[in-house]
Amino acid sequence: MAEPALRLAGIEKHYGATVAVAGIDLEVQDGEFVTLLGPSGCGKTTTLGLIAGFFPPTAGEIYLRGKPVADLPSFKRDIGVVFQDYALFPHMTAAENVAFGLRMRRVAPGETAQRVKDALDLVKLGGLGDRRPLQMSGGQRQRVALARALVINPAVLLLDEPLSNLDLKLREEMRVEIVSIQRRLGITTIFVTHDQGEALVMSDRIAVMNAGRIEQVGDPAAIYETPATRFVAEFIGRMNLFNGAVTPARGVRLASGVEVALPVPDDVATGTAVHVAIRPERARLTPGTPGDGLALMGKVRRILYLGAAREIHLELADGERGVVEVRNDGSGLGFAEGSEVWLSAPLANCRVLPVR
Amino acid sequence: MSFRRWRANRAPWALLRAFVICIYVFSLGPILITAAVSFNQGTRSYFPPRGFSFRWWERAMAPEWLDPLWFSLKLGSLTALISTALALPLAFALYRYRFRGREALVALTLGPLMLPTLVTGVGLLQLFQIVGLRDYIGFAALLVGHVVICMPFAVRTVTISLSTLPPNVELAAASLGATRLATLRHVVFPLIKTGLIAGAVFAFIHSFTDVNLSIFLARPGEIPITVKILGFLEFGFAPTLAAVAVITLLLPLVLVAIVERVSGLGDFIYGDRNRG
Repeated sequence: MAEPALRLAGIEKHYGATVAVAGIDLEVQDGEFVTLLGPSGCGKTTTLGLIAGFFPPTAGEIYLRGKPVADLPSFKRDIGVVFQDYALFPHMTAAENVAFGLRMRRVAPGETAQRVKDALDLVKLGGLGDRRPLQMSGGQRQRVALARALVINPAVLLLDEPLSNLDLKLREEMRVEIVSIQRRLGITTIFVTHDQGEALVMSDRIAVMNAGRIEQVGDPAAIYETPATRFVAEFIGRMNLFNGAVTPARGVRLASGVEVALPVPDDVATGTAVHVAIRPERARLTPGTPGDGLALMGKVRRILYLGAAREIHLELADGERGVVEVRNDGSGLGFAEGSEVWLSAPLANCRVLPVR
Repeated sequence: MSFRRWRANRAPWALLRAFVICIYVFSLGPILITAAVSFNQGTRSYFPPRGFSFRWWERAMAPEWLDPLWFSLKLGSLTALISTALALPLAFALYRYRFRGREALVALTLGPLMLPTLVTGVGLLQLFQIVGLRDYIGFAALLVGHVVICMPFAVRTVTISLSTLPPNVELAAASLGATRLATLRHVVFPLIKTGLIAGAVFAFIHSFTDVNLSIFLARPGEIPITVKILGFLEFGFAPTLAAVAVITLLLPLVLVAIVERVSGLGDFIYGDRNRG
């Protein structure tokens, strides 16, 4: 098998007693778009800085196209970085900004001019090369930053929350555009964000990070549909988590006494406390007992009207809380706040998660 | 609007106007009077001048005055150059890094700003005599002294311009393949250039106008213009002095005007509205 474009092998970064990155292993294939997703302080930006070579790792090795680079300074690695604040050079025009990397590589002036022009065209800024960063809008600056990072044809493109300073409309536009440019160029890309929506839409694979570690790596559907941990389940989308324990029959008995015949992984011992997890949009509300699957009786506490859907908050019989999202298809709910309803779901929509 | 309200609103503005006029009268007045006096025809310093002549200006153009003026220009320029050259790495170290002895270095660098220059002058004079460098009193000693008292200005302006550097530009340059040196040259330096120039200008002016320190370290033949003027005052105020004073005043003004034209110094002094 070919060498991965980027491989992180047990990298760690400590600042005194603080551990920012606590051991990360990750392989990124050529042309892949991988997102590091996590809350602020989870170590995702530090990881990006380590790949970029802005500071050395405390432990571990970084391989770029099979070559160990952990000891190389940033300017000797073959990377392109787009910063959250763009970090454009304010004293240079857009074109000069884009040309900077080529100038440092001593590319001939004629070729530089052509490549700068192509790069600016690529990000749809053709004709704006003479502007200074301060004369440009946030979205345009973002494009200059992208062109500047792309023009040097780096082995890996690193994007550090590049969309978080843009307003919502522009952000959604740029999501699509960055991905389309990335696909067209086939450039290996590491994208850092705390925005799960961005991660789901843009990525080939997502690495969900928490407290300096990767909790789970997988394609967006796998991360959303089959989260491995409670953290992943709750960080991406929303999740109902009902407390329970593994029964000798290898099912789960919920706190309310209801038994759910869900398959439990073999390595989880009988009696272990677990969660039964179900997404709000995968559960249903019925007036009477449903036939099979998960069924919990509860009382409607609040109904939130969201436009395209309604969010029904329930108080369940055992004091637990639950949320069900009901699509607003025009048929009406058939119950009101205070009504008694059943929360139900086919077992295929439920998952058993370890408590942590 | 009632008259009372009208008056209430107007009074502060009138006050401000009067205040500003006072500032101009007291800062520009003496200069204008001095300039006028230099055109007197007689041997006394009358104001308003009696008659009109250039005779005192001719006197002022004699080597007796031009030599110390030239001396001060040389001293000031060299002081500015050395102060700025030292200030750049110093400001970098103090602004960017936390290290042992940093506080001490800050105190040592900026200390002369708070110390009376007179004391620094006396101290330097004694030092030069005690360590047997008596022969260097004159230009060399003046240069050392002026760098000590002028460098704080340069360190301050360079530090300010470093603090306005966008946070990630250096990392961005590194990621694009620029070595530390290339980053400094192509990114950092152009962005802090105004700060460096402003520092040099402040250092020059401070050196050019200093008398407190210079008076101790000058020696015959190596006298800055300020010390020369002070010495001449012992014989009373002559119109010659008025002419010399005007020249001494105009030189730094012209310099600042030129620098302002070339690099936008005002921009540095009044804020960073046009930077980048």
